[in-house]
Amino acid sequence: MKNRNEIFLITGTRKGLGQSLALHYLQTGKIVIGCSRNNASIEHKNYTHFKLDVSDEKEVQKMIRVISKRHKKVDVLINNAGIALMNHVLLTAKSSVNDIFNTNFLGTFLFIREASRLMIKNKYGRIVNFSTVAVPLNLEGEAIYASSKSAVETFTRVSSKELGQFGITVNAIGPSPVLTDLIRLVPKEKIDSLIESQAIKRFGETEDILNVVDFFINEKSDFITGQTIYLGGIS
Amino acid sequence: MKEQEIKQLIICCINEYLELNETKIDINENTALIGSNAIVNSMGLVNIIVDVESSLLDSDIEISLTSEKAMSRVVSPFRSISSLVNFINEEINEESK
Repeated sequence: MKNRNEIFLITGTRKGLGQSLALHYLQTGKIVIGCSRNNASIEHKNYTHFKLDVSDEKEVQKMIRVISKRHKKVDVLINNAGIALMNHVLLTAKSSVNDIFNTNFLGTFLFIREASRLMIKNKYGRIVNFSTVAVPLNLEGEAIYASSKSAVETFTRVSSKELGQFGITVNAIGPSPVLTDLIRLVPKEKIDSLIESQAIKRFGETEDILNVVDFFINEKSDFITGQTIYLGGIS
Repeated sequence: MKEQEIKQLIICCINEYLELNETKIDINENTALIGSNAIVNSMGLVNIIVDVESSLLDSDIEISLTSEKAMSRVVSPFRSISSLVNFINEEINEESK
């Protein structure tokens, strides 16, 4: 089978999981295009970085046009960029809700809309979105974050139907807590109780996430779409 | 790019799509791309939009046919081939200002 997974577009690559994902695929010889609000933290001959806000429509369109001119295609899109917020509903500012939905949902939407244009042309594409176990667990204190990721999950299911006929699969992964910046402000007892609710009681590792992403983007996974996989035995 | 060239480019993209789907339809500038008389369904329109945008890009013309401007028009650019030609032409002229 011809290897079609050559050009990877990963959002939020400056740190955390996004950076690990980018480095992983660079190590396996892929061409990775990444983005974040800040300058690149990765230096590699096959890595290109765009400094942008994922919810800025014009900037996202500009980025995709540059990729289109340079590479003519995007094989894999990993919508990793995300921000978290822990707060009681009554203590949540409207601006925080806007920020979270803009990055987590609008950013995912824009990248799917723009990148899938290239994928449609190529009749092939693999899209992986990021959700969270906060969705099925309905975690207190994460109402806005979990709601934004619920939107991502619904969008994953519906867009998988709309893009399926073009050879594009759209799936999502819901990682259990991984020690990254995203959870640095979450109280320890909260994390401990979350891990306690998992079937397998440990922190998630980057490798656990890579394993699921690798499964979703595998060329043989062309019959796997519209799915969300949670890690750690959460359902 | 001249109006006639834009029209040819659009017709070429539509014909390519129709051929791929083994559909034979004679098209002209009044052919509708949306509405009850449309020659393609919504997925067909998506295909054609992508093809037209990337064909324009091959000529270094960067235009989004699904921009706020295109979508909020009282008369949709996709009502007919000629309205799409007009929209693209307007966008090109605006870009060159």
